[in-house]
Amino acid sequence: MNKTLRISFSLKNTYRVNGILYSLKQIPLVKKLLPQKLYGVRGLKIFANILSGLWELVSVFLGKLLYLTLMVAGMAMLYDGLPREAVFLHILLFLSVIGAFMNTFLFNPTKDKYYAMILLRMNARDYTLVNYGYSLAKLIVGFLPFAIWFGFRCGVSLWTCLLIPFFVTGLKLLMAAWTLRDYEKTKRATNENKLGKFLWITVFVLLAAAYGLPAAKIVIPAPAVQTVMALGFLAGLPCILKVLHFSHYSEMYRELLAQSMNDMDQAKAVIQNQSKQSISADTGITSRRRGFEYLNELFIKRHQKVLWKSTKRQAAVCAILTCGVLLAFYLAPEFKTHTNELLMSFLPYFVFIMYAINRGTGFTRVLFMNCDHSLLTYSFYKQPDMVLKLFRIRLREIVKVNLLPALVLGCGLAVILWASGGTDNPFDYLVVVVSIACMSVFFSVHYLTIYYLLQPYNAGTEMKSGMYQIILSVTYVVCFCMMQVRMDIMIFGVLCIAFCVIYSVIACILVYRFAPKTFRLRQ
Amino acid sequence: MKLVIEHLAKSYEKKEVLKDVSFSFESGKIYGLLGRNGAGKTTLFNCLNKDIRTDGGSFYFEENGNRRKLQAEDVGYVLSTPTVPEFLTGREFLKFFLDINEKSIRNPKSIDEYFDYMSIEPEDRDKLLKDYSHGMKNKMQMLINIIAQPNLLLLDEPLTSLDVVVAEEMKQLLRSLKEGRITIFSTHIMDLALDLCDEIVLLNHGELESVDKSNLDSHEFKEKIIAALREVENE
Repeated sequence: MNKTLRISFSLKNTYRVNGILYSLKQIPLVKKLLPQKLYGVRGLKIFANILSGLWELVSVFLGKLLYLTLMVAGMAMLYDGLPREAVFLHILLFLSVIGAFMNTFLFNPTKDKYYAMILLRMNARDYTLVNYGYSLAKLIVGFLPFAIWFGFRCGVSLWTCLLIPFFVTGLKLLMAAWTLRDYEKTKRATNENKLGKFLWITVFVLLAAAYGLPAAKIVIPAPAVQTVMALGFLAGLPCILKVLHFSHYSEMYRELLAQSMNDMDQAKAVIQNQSKQSISADTGITSRRRGFEYLNELFIKRHQKVLWKSTKRQAAVCAILTCGVLLAFYLAPEFKTHTNELLMSFLPYFVFIMYAINRGTGFTRVLFMNCDHSLLTYSFYKQPDMVLKLFRIRLREIVKVNLLPALVLGCGLAVILWASGGTDNPFDYLVVVVSIACMSVFFSVHYLTIYYLLQPYNAGTEMKSGMYQIILSVTYVVCFCMMQVRMDIMIFGVLCIAFCVIYSVIACILVYRFAPKTFRLRQ
Repeated sequence: MKLVIEHLAKSYEKKEVLKDVSFSFESGKIYGLLGRNGAGKTTLFNCLNKDIRTDGGSFYFEENGNRRKLQAEDVGYVLSTPTVPEFLTGREFLKFFLDINEKSIRNPKSIDEYFDYMSIEPEDRDKLLKDYSHGMKNKMQMLINIIAQPNLLLLDEPLTSLDVVVAEEMKQLLRSLKEGRITIFSTHIMDLALDLCDEIVLLNHGELESVDKSNLDSHEFKEKIIAALREVENE
């Protein structure tokens, strides 16, 4: 048993350490400092081991903390006028039932199980029991302090708080024993990540019961929950025997892991297939243009589904929302003043909205998968003037695609601003429309530029650029932070327009200088 | 015309894949490039096609004593896995290619003539390329690479996964194309190399060397090639 635990630990640790080293290798600049044989360097390994150990420790507590804060105690605070203790226990009860079959450890086909039981041929039963025991122990240890902490704050008695981790564990054991028995009967392995329709409906019903009932002022009384919890714990005890004496772990995991590892191999194929399927098979699509315009027009027409269709839908949604707000003004005029105040300082918020609706990343991905991936292997396609000619055409196209919802949104905001009482400065209307349009152009230019300058994919359509991913993440974080900014329409609008124009000009200059060299398949 | 490579070097971090490649390829011949797995055949091709930067050395065409650099349009590069733009039909791809290269293509033919030349059936010409079979995609890729009549044709394992009929068609095609250009053909299959190629060149330990066939029958020649590949490995 000890040996099994040690081996499975060191196995998990090894690939975690290698994962950490691999991700270090993806960071620009850092990767130049790292030696080629980094996986064999002792110092680095020790460093990654420390990180990995810390992560194991954090993982014991962090998940439980977040779970109890965000999903249980935090939510319980939101319901006014109900006994907090009862709401806390009510939510916890229903979520624990969901967790018992959605988060089982036993029926989750993970990579470490695959490595250990299939590749390294470890004894399936020993491996499973040791690791299952460990995961349950982690669960109890992780839960206990936070259950007490949050329980106390919600007025739950100490003995109930102490019962919580054991109740959760008992439920999990109960569900595990039941599923194992089901396997013995049906010979079908259950995968917790592939729930059937019936279970999904159950999940939604339970979620609705957890959060919906308290909203309707219905809560299960605390003594009832406490009784159920005690029963759950007691019911879990005999189930330990089932888990210990189940004799088909090996076959069960063979089936479960084979099917899910197959899925992983297929995941890449699925992405490629999705791109292929986005090509319209409509034989009526033709073009009368020539050269690159011909290529571009056919590309756009055959990818209507992923390009224009979704932006048209976005534009329609923006238009409907605008009408909805106008209707609300008509029905409830007192709503106007507040909206007007909000609008006058909320323009930065729309940076994030424009970020969220921009089709730039989707456009460049499908460009690569269905077009550049193949054409970049032909030398004629890589001639500098050809690269730039096509860049111009594509920039025009992506700007057009994204501009439609942006204009609808911009005009909609201007109308709402006017209808909500207007502004002293008539230029505000113009600034709203232009700045939203500029944001849209900015994102279009941004995504196409980084695509041309970093071309992150290799011939196997894998993303190979750490820099590209970092830029995408930074873009997200910056846009997210903009939601917190409050600034006057005029000031923010003008700053935003100026930034977008300057950025776009610089980006185009960079593309003209460097893209003929950088727009290549990654090796 | 000759393609001259001088002291070409390329490393990936500390691993020297191409150490000191020097060779002179003559036009009108098909060269069979043999090397063990990981010897650097594809790296060499990628360098010549300017897909990756070299670390040192140079390569150029030499004609009547004049040297000139390779331009993108000089090189045709056929990969082992055929890649074609899936959203176009065969005819559209060809039209697009002919459109943008109209100035550089000598004696252009009609689109259907090109299809006939490659034995691509009329009913397949207006299908989306995503629905083409592997062999047909390969033919399209080859066609695009030879229409422009490049001075240097690089073929990376192009026949390995084709059925026997298409493979034979391709072999005939390559033989008919060899005049006036340099063809370099990388493969693992020795019989194919011996059957198709005029010269055998080995890439081993980052260097190129030619294998002299004089007075050897094909069995002895094979033995010699394998011995050479092994020998360098054991040094």
